Amino acid sequence: MESRARIKALLKKLMNRKVMISVLALVMAMVTSGIIIKLSGYSPVEAIMAIFEGAFNGKSAIARTLVQATPLILSGLAFTVAQKAQLINLGVEGQLYLGALATAMVGSMDLGVPGGLHLIFAILVGMLVGGLYAGIVGVMKVRFGSNEVIATIMLNSIAILVANYFVSGPWKAVGSVTGQTEKVLDQVRLARLIPHTQLTLAIAVAIISCLIMKWFFDHTVPGYEIKVVGQNKTAAKVAGIQTGKIVILSMLLSGAIGGLAGGLHVLGVDGRFITGFSPGYGFSGIAVAALGAGSPIGVIVSGLIFGVIRSGSMLLDLKTDIPLTYADVVQALVIIFVATPMLITEMIHKSKRVVSAMNPSSKKGEES
Amino acid sequence: MSFLQDNMVYILVATISMSIPLILASLGGIFSARSGIMALGLESMMMTGAFTAVVGTYFSGNAYVGLLAGMGGGALISYLYGILCIRYKVNQVIAGVGLNLLALSATTLLTELIWGNRGSSPQVASIQLNLSFLSKVPVIGKILEGQSILLLITGVFVCVAWFVLFKTVYGLRLRIVGENPKAASTMGLKVKAIKYQGVIICGMLAGLGGAYLSIDHIDLFQRNMTAGRGYIAVVIMILGRYHPFYVVVAALIFGFSDAIQIYLQGQGIPSQLMQTIPYVVTLFVLAFGVKHIRPPAGIGMHEDDH
Repeated sequence: MESRARIKALLKKLMNRKVMISVLALVMAMVTSGIIIKLSGYSPVEAIMAIFEGAFNGKSAIARTLVQATPLILSGLAFTVAQKAQLINLGVEGQLYLGALATAMVGSMDLGVPGGLHLIFAILVGMLVGGLYAGIVGVMKVRFGSNEVIATIMLNSIAILVANYFVSGPWKAVGSVTGQTEKVLDQVRLARLIPHTQLTLAIAVAIISCLIMKWFFDHTVPGYEIKVVGQNKTAAKVAGIQTGKIVILSMLLSGAIGGLAGGLHVLGVDGRFITGFSPGYGFSGIAVAALGAGSPIGVIVSGLIFGVIRSGSMLLDLKTDIPLTYADVVQALVIIFVATPMLITEMIHKSKRVVSAMNPSSKKGEES
Repeated sequence: MSFLQDNMVYILVATISMSIPLILASLGGIFSARSGIMALGLESMMMTGAFTAVVGTYFSGNAYVGLLAGMGGGALISYLYGILCIRYKVNQVIAGVGLNLLALSATTLLTELIWGNRGSSPQVASIQLNLSFLSKVPVIGKILEGQSILLLITGVFVCVAWFVLFKTVYGLRLRIVGENPKAASTMGLKVKAIKYQGVIICGMLAGLGGAYLSIDHIDLFQRNMTAGRGYIAVVIMILGRYHPFYVVVAALIFGFSDAIQIYLQGQGIPSQLMQTIPYVVTLFVLAFGVKHIRPPAGIGMHEDDH
């Protein structure tokens, strides 16, 4: 009996309001996109089956799902970190791009250092570049009161264009037709977890990053200060927190995580920077963060969920004529539904009324 | 000398034609912002307008039907934005960003479902009417003759917008709602209805701006064809102090940077670097140009706030 009570308490803890909203938002996004699929003349049930098959059927499918989840988790984490300070970092895509480029360049140079050191150095340079790029926005925000949403969108376009310039011009791999850098040295490639797949240690790094950020927010002074600034800037100022510094710090951190996402993609998947490698991972991160409800642990879970949707959609693309873009539609819908808790509570009330109207005798059971 | 002159004309022509969608979108943004809703969803309205304009033209064969479809598409998505921001009180930034992403992915998805091609639609009819009857006007005739009829329509809309906003009772009410929704509600104004109207006017104008990009400037829809112009239009709106006339001036600055960019691409400078110019200009304006400009006081507020 005692264990049952314990499970109940655990469930109650898990199913708080935020989690409820996330789960319902995901369901509603799936239903809405199912309706779109139905309207375009396909079967939603078949589509869901194809997604699950594509995501889980066999070792290589699972590996692909985790590979897809890796940048999603990290960009979701990047967005979450900025959001803790009430900043909306839409620039993760650009930070990821520049981070990937920096890591690819450092990784392809022969520095004469042992493999492990070289790898860590390449990743750190990518994080530094991503962080500084986001830091620009932090400084603009603090110094000039600029709107970070627009600033980051502009910086995305600039980053992508500049990166494309470098890899199709001065840094282009010899003899290559498309814009890409030279391959990175073998010694900096991440170790594969499953042979013959692209699944590498990157997924572990992503999850560990989330755990580190959770610890950072729960147990360190700067982490705490970021949260205070996010909740109440005036109170933070009164308490003697240097809010400007904290805003810049959270942008730096957020950008560094974005850069890490790009760097890991280069060292784990492509082995070089390739123009247009990201199908919008940075923007997907917004959906991941929304579903993760502002918690680094939630980000791990929601990153995995979106990894399933994305990797499953690849099979959907092959098997049916439903394009891969379907996954992006689901993501956008999730962002909107998570942001609309009033809609969800309204629906819960309505459905409760419908249920009790249909089944008046069950009212007793609903009291809890 | 004549070489410079020729290029100058070319740049000015491009400046005006690149400014038209920006003017229309930021003009729409004024109506939304003045009613208390920051139009961060402009990008989605432009994108949807560009898409539905091509769809309308494709199925009707008539580009003018396409223009109306573009306005309708913009209005539809702005109504959605209104529902989110007004009825469900969603954070306007998040709602705008969510809709922008939805518009990008949904138009890409629909392009592929309708035409079987992810990148772009087939070519459709485009607006052919231009201002060639102005070619005899001295000095500016050369710049205006090749411009689309939409330039004229845009000019009319700018004047009408100014008149409606600042010279009519309706405009006054709209601005009161945007400054102080609570007081407006106490006065007996239908705050929500006025906000919906502001947002939908915004969507129609931004949709028209998008339609200009797809069926006037060129004649097809391309994935992500607005390329951040909706966000740039937000900056233009702020730089133009939420005023129709100033917005035109601000939009011309950005149109000019776009024109320079297009012009320099033909001059041997790497095109990717040139393409960054409008974004860099926006960034600088954002940092140095708009700090002291006060937005309508009631942005993001509701009439039943406590």
